[in-house]
Amino acid sequence: MSIRLIRGGRVVDPAHGIDEVRDLWIQDGRITAPPGVPADEEIDASGCVIMAGGIDLHTHIGGGKVNLARLLLPEDHRRGGDPIPLPGNPLELASCGGCAPGTLATGYRYVEMGYTAAFEPAMMACNARHAHMEMGDTPILDHGAYVMLGNDELLLEMISRGVDFQQIRDYMGWTIHAAKAMGVKVVNPGGISAFKFNQRKLDVDQAHAHWQITPRQVVNTLARGLRELGVPHPLHIHGSNLGVAGNIQSTLDTIAALEGLPGHLTHIQFHAYGTEGPKKFSSAALQLAEAVNAHANISIDVGQIMFGQTVTASGDTMRQYAQSGLAQPRKWVGADIECEAGCGVVPFRYREQSYVNALQWVIGLEIFLLVNDPWRVVLTTDHPNGGPFTSYPHLIRLLMDRSFREEQLARLHPDVAAQAALKSITRELSLSEIAIMTRAGPARLLGLADRGHLGAGAAADVVVYRDQPDREAMFTSPEYVFKDGTLVARAGRITAVTTGGTHFVEPEYDRGIEKTLRKHWEAHGSIRFDNVAIGRDELCSCCNGGRLLPAACFEVTP
Amino acid sequence: MTDTSPATAADTGPQAWTCPFCPLLCDTLALDAQPTPRLVGATCAKAEAALARFTPGGPPASPLLGGRAVALPEAVAAAATLLGQSRQPLFAGLGTDVAGARALYPLACATGAICDAAGGAALAQGLRVLQDRGRFSTTLAEVHERADLLVCVGTDPAQRYPLFFERCGLPPEDPKVARLDPGPEALLETVGLLAAAVEGRPLAAPLPEPLAALAARLREARYAVLVYETAALPAHGALVVEAINRIVASLNRSTRAAAMALGGGEGASTVNEVFTWLSGLPMRSRAGPAGLEHEPLRFDAARLLARGEVDLLLWVSSFSPAEPPASASVPRIVLGPPGAGQGAEVFIPVATPGVGAAGHLFRFDGSVVVPLRAVLPQGLPTVAEVVAQIQQALLRQRSAPAATVGVPA
Repeated sequence: MSIRLIRGGRVVDPAHGIDEVRDLWIQDGRITAPPGVPADEEIDASGCVIMAGGIDLHTHIGGGKVNLARLLLPEDHRRGGDPIPLPGNPLELASCGGCAPGTLATGYRYVEMGYTAAFEPAMMACNARHAHMEMGDTPILDHGAYVMLGNDELLLEMISRGVDFQQIRDYMGWTIHAAKAMGVKVVNPGGISAFKFNQRKLDVDQAHAHWQITPRQVVNTLARGLRELGVPHPLHIHGSNLGVAGNIQSTLDTIAALEGLPGHLTHIQFHAYGTEGPKKFSSAALQLAEAVNAHANISIDVGQIMFGQTVTASGDTMRQYAQSGLAQPRKWVGADIECEAGCGVVPFRYREQSYVNALQWVIGLEIFLLVNDPWRVVLTTDHPNGGPFTSYPHLIRLLMDRSFREEQLARLHPDVAAQAALKSITRELSLSEIAIMTRAGPARLLGLADRGHLGAGAAADVVVYRDQPDREAMFTSPEYVFKDGTLVARAGRITAVTTGGTHFVEPEYDRGIEKTLRKHWEAHGSIRFDNVAIGRDELCSCCNGGRLLPAACFEVTP
Repeated sequence: MTDTSPATAADTGPQAWTCPFCPLLCDTLALDAQPTPRLVGATCAKAEAALARFTPGGPPASPLLGGRAVALPEAVAAAATLLGQSRQPLFAGLGTDVAGARALYPLACATGAICDAAGGAALAQGLRVLQDRGRFSTTLAEVHERADLLVCVGTDPAQRYPLFFERCGLPPEDPKVARLDPGPEALLETVGLLAAAVEGRPLAAPLPEPLAALAARLREARYAVLVYETAALPAHGALVVEAINRIVASLNRSTRAAAMALGGGEGASTVNEVFTWLSGLPMRSRAGPAGLEHEPLRFDAARLLARGEVDLLLWVSSFSPAEPPASASVPRIVLGPPGAGQGAEVFIPVATPGVGAAGHLFRFDGSVVVPLRAVLPQGLPTVAEVVAQIQQALLRQRSAPAATVGVPA
């Protein structure tokens, strides 16, 4: 394969502590040291900023609830009464949607912005084939998913019966293996199941109506299991009481429940609410940031909200049911699924003049700016729940440009604009910090050794941005995007449509557990046990023939 | 040719089998391939009837061009030529699996075809309610484990889905099973009354006793499930579904309940899912001159054919020899099992997923994708393979000057 030289750009590679003008060589899809021979192709990157490809570690891009969102919202796939025009680019197939785009459009739009990998955070084991299929049909991007546990009746029963922890760990290992997952996510620990038993609220130390166990136990058990399995990505936690005023207490309790074990608190903005003020709804960003700063085992992604129409798609049926009265347009979809999980899809419009929405916007930004260690903060909107991923460039500008931020703040509900602590926060994130929050940090949190950085040997997922004072413009259309060395986008236009690879982990576990699981499936399951697990060949066909990218687990020290 | 290496008949006894012939996708069945394919250890009239079509010595499996046997490349080229000449093709039937749907979408984009599945009318009923109001649904395992009341609304599920009650873990005569089937004429009014009673709205006249009792049972149930069958609904069936969803919503304020729709078999819901995720829009859409259009009423295959609004039909039916609507007088390309495609300009026999080829289908309740295995050697290409070849041939023809069409590149 040819040798490509990207000359004279400012390389921002925080994984190696680099932020300086230097040349970058690409050969055979990898970053290389200068090869000592002339390049076949040279790109002048003077006046440009070069980063590794962006990695979104929490974005709802594939699986049942995403497709339900598309089906629910035909209005997202037309312009008023008119159809969305066909793509002008012959490389693209017709695909559309703003907050619930088709998979093809999802791939094109992510790549045009310089993202090269995206992770679906809420894959149900029973729906894993579907999730992998959608991700496989999301062009160019590498992808992976976290399988949901902690609302499956089997795990809750095992905890409730106090079975040997080994069994739980092996069941987790088998589930990751069966679903070809990159990690494990827990959503409203025990709460989705509790809702099926008609429980409407579940605090961290409240007992599940049927199994009589608490979210604290579920979180601790799962975090411990992942630790013992050596799975690199920490337990991905969508905590209790999402969206509820005062839920900061649940969040702090969840951090405590981890007892120092690694945990990733996702879309944390939705879990950082206090009860102060006239509306009994206030920012608890400071409390949250203090807790994150004090606990090195915790990482977060923010789930920033963006004003405008979107749709919230979540596994948290308990909370989505509670919020469904706020649906706009007034319709929503919910489901109880396979004694394993659930889903709730509620369209929503975030309004600048809504006190609550304005405060949510403020809280997200405060969290970004108050947590000290950027390596433990990931930039997300929880696409599409806080807003579509296409709003990332706008969000980056809000974080990097204080005066722009203040202009936006001034447009919000007057009480929020007047009182928000955000007003007094002067921090502006640097390019290096943005690079950490959008690629280097997520790569590290996922255990992707050859992504998220630009060192020799890394995959040549490289983005060349024109350095512009308007960071929104800069991050909207990079000059060049390379995926594994192939030029896939040029100045906001797709130039090649490749098939991305699938990231997953294969932890070691005792296969003896399958005997127990087989019995369980025979008694309670709706499909044959032998049909649950996805084999590697099958995964490959689900994912459209993309490469399989198993990530290494870490050595488990007893 | 592209057989996905099914077990050869001689070396096996009964083998595990997942039945692709109805959207329950029962996968605890076994199949004995010899001497003729036969279900073992279960009774399902639907599966048995379908399997009988795979008895050795069936109709010849050659592609046909105007009724004349030809080699596959010739049939593929002819199909591509027809598609290239068509001003408005219709892709209908769409009886295929995930792989087939994935292959059909780019071809639909390349030709501006309108797409509608067989049974599209039933699919559209459910879709319309979803688009207008949403719903709350459940799945088989939940029903099996949780339902203490299963109300069959306007349907006897076992008629068209023979193993439905087995899959729910309930005998049909179980006291947990209730039936509300006043006939198609009275269905909407009856379900409306039931909804009003469940909601506790004042009624003009006292409710007939069985209905009042059912309303009371629904309110008392811990987890009530209302099951209906989209294809069995009368005209304006969407209103019935809305009333069912209203009952569910009203119950969910104090207890738990969910709806469950039966339908979407023979690939219909699968193709709908795949097209939706690829494009953002479900069936009855096209990539037309004005853009991506979704027209749930106008893009009804039966209507388009009856009104002559399309000039070519690509009919895909890999699970059964189902024929297009009788009103189809336009030229036809048919991908179907051997023996289908009578009168088609181009007929290409294809493997049946779950019999002669591996594949994937969505189960009726939406959340579960079930893998299908090849169990008999059919020696036929899959829909996905044929469609990909047609696409390639079409692109070749378009890029080649007219005089050289058909000359290998």
